[in-house]
Amino acid sequence: MAAKEEALRAGLGAFLTEQWRDEARVEAISRIPGGASRETWRCRVATAGATRGLIVRVDPETSLIDTDRATEYRAMEAAHRSGLPTPEPLFLEHDLDWIGRPFSITSEVTGCQASADGLPMEHREALGRRKWRLLGEIARLDPLTLGLGEVMPATKVETCALEQVDYWAGVIAQDELHPNPVAEAAIRWLRRHPPPPAQKLSLVHGDYRTGNFLYSPDGDIKAILDWEMAHLGDPLEDLAWSLDPLWCWRRPDLAGMLLPHAEAVRHWEDASGLTAEPAALAWWRVFASVKGIGIWISSSEDFHRGAAKAPILALAGWLMTDRQQQILADYLSPHSAHRFWRGAA
Amino acid sequence: MIPQGAQGVGHLATRIVTDLLPKAADDYMAADLGMIAGLLGLVAQDFERGTEVLLADIADIHAILETAAPRFAGSDLGRRMAAEVARLPSGMRLSQLTAHTDGAMRVLIDVHAAVEAAADAGEGWAKMPDLAIWTFLDAHVARRSYDSAF
Repeated sequence: MAAKEEALRAGLGAFLTEQWRDEARVEAISRIPGGASRETWRCRVATAGATRGLIVRVDPETSLIDTDRATEYRAMEAAHRSGLPTPEPLFLEHDLDWIGRPFSITSEVTGCQASADGLPMEHREALGRRKWRLLGEIARLDPLTLGLGEVMPATKVETCALEQVDYWAGVIAQDELHPNPVAEAAIRWLRRHPPPPAQKLSLVHGDYRTGNFLYSPDGDIKAILDWEMAHLGDPLEDLAWSLDPLWCWRRPDLAGMLLPHAEAVRHWEDASGLTAEPAALAWWRVFASVKGIGIWISSSEDFHRGAAKAPILALAGWLMTDRQQQILADYLSPHSAHRFWRGAA
Repeated sequence: MIPQGAQGVGHLATRIVTDLLPKAADDYMAADLGMIAGLLGLVAQDFERGTEVLLADIADIHAILETAAPRFAGSDLGRRMAAEVARLPSGMRLSQLTAHTDGAMRVLIDVHAAVEAAADAGEGWAKMPDLAIWTFLDAHVARRSYDSAF
């Protein structure tokens, strides 16, 4: 690790010196836990007589989510330009000469944390309100005006839902180590019961959940993180993902461990100006769990074939797949007591 | 042979959490060690129950295929169902049982799709095998669920 850190320190210092046309010295660098899709490093950089904090996201040799760094960066840039709280995007670099892999750099947002375990419960309601209102604001944006049509695959309100099903069904088929009968049943169900067309094409964050935003101790959200799965699509996709029982496993009545589901939906509707029609939202909730299984299966495949040894990949592959299958069986089995649907009521 | 393997793996996880994790050089290593300890907890559960889970899956799938077989007689799927029911695991190692379960599961998935298609076409007979398959899927998921602090 020390040699890797030294190489990063030297490469980043040289890169920043060239970008800022002033000597930049990386004084400290440490890897941030989590960050399954990219290696994430926190740096202190001295330049022009001052020190500033930066976050560097480095493409891994493999990751939990196979995504394009440019899409992630441009989505965050668009959100930042629109006034949403995100880290300030600074550089996107594809040249391998600096540190051997592509990377992006943002400003560091200090004094916050992202862990779902440390949520300030005395500010739970305010944090929840802010969380789903921000998601509504993302849904309200016009992604084409923001230029995102140039970096994200085109889609239509009529087709975006089943295109997503096809994509994640393909991921599961390609990466599964064993057959997944519950996921297969869910995929067939999604195809046999397509939702109505999206109310609009939105910027879909793709992984909007507790744990993917930075919050301050007083319960404010200072930055929305992890835009690597951003795409154009139905805004209900993000809402359903944010409500998935996986993110409130021990408190299924509290979406994202923050708010009763109905309240979360109401805040999203108020901020987005859209309607979360129950049947359409139910379809997207089933989809969310299929997508989850796709992510977890991909991660365990990476771990299994030895491309990556990060334990978070194995944990996702084993534990999250198990839980996501429980959720899908709860949703779809004719014998189910629908514990998770009831929690969402 | 370690008959108390699950407990042994559990002790290793405890050792990581109580002795090694506090000495981690940084947050990243501490997080890794915590996840490895958690993973060992899952491995311990599979160590104890793995054979039972796989044999139960195979027995349940074969029972469903035998019951549903007359509906698919003469078709390619019917032939695959018959071949699957007649097949025995190549051995009792977890890897061998897993491979056998995977083969049986692929047939079951195709039968489930065919049953759903029949139900959608209004064929009343399809309801019973669909319910039977979901009974199996519920049990399949429950058998694999992990007890975890995460």
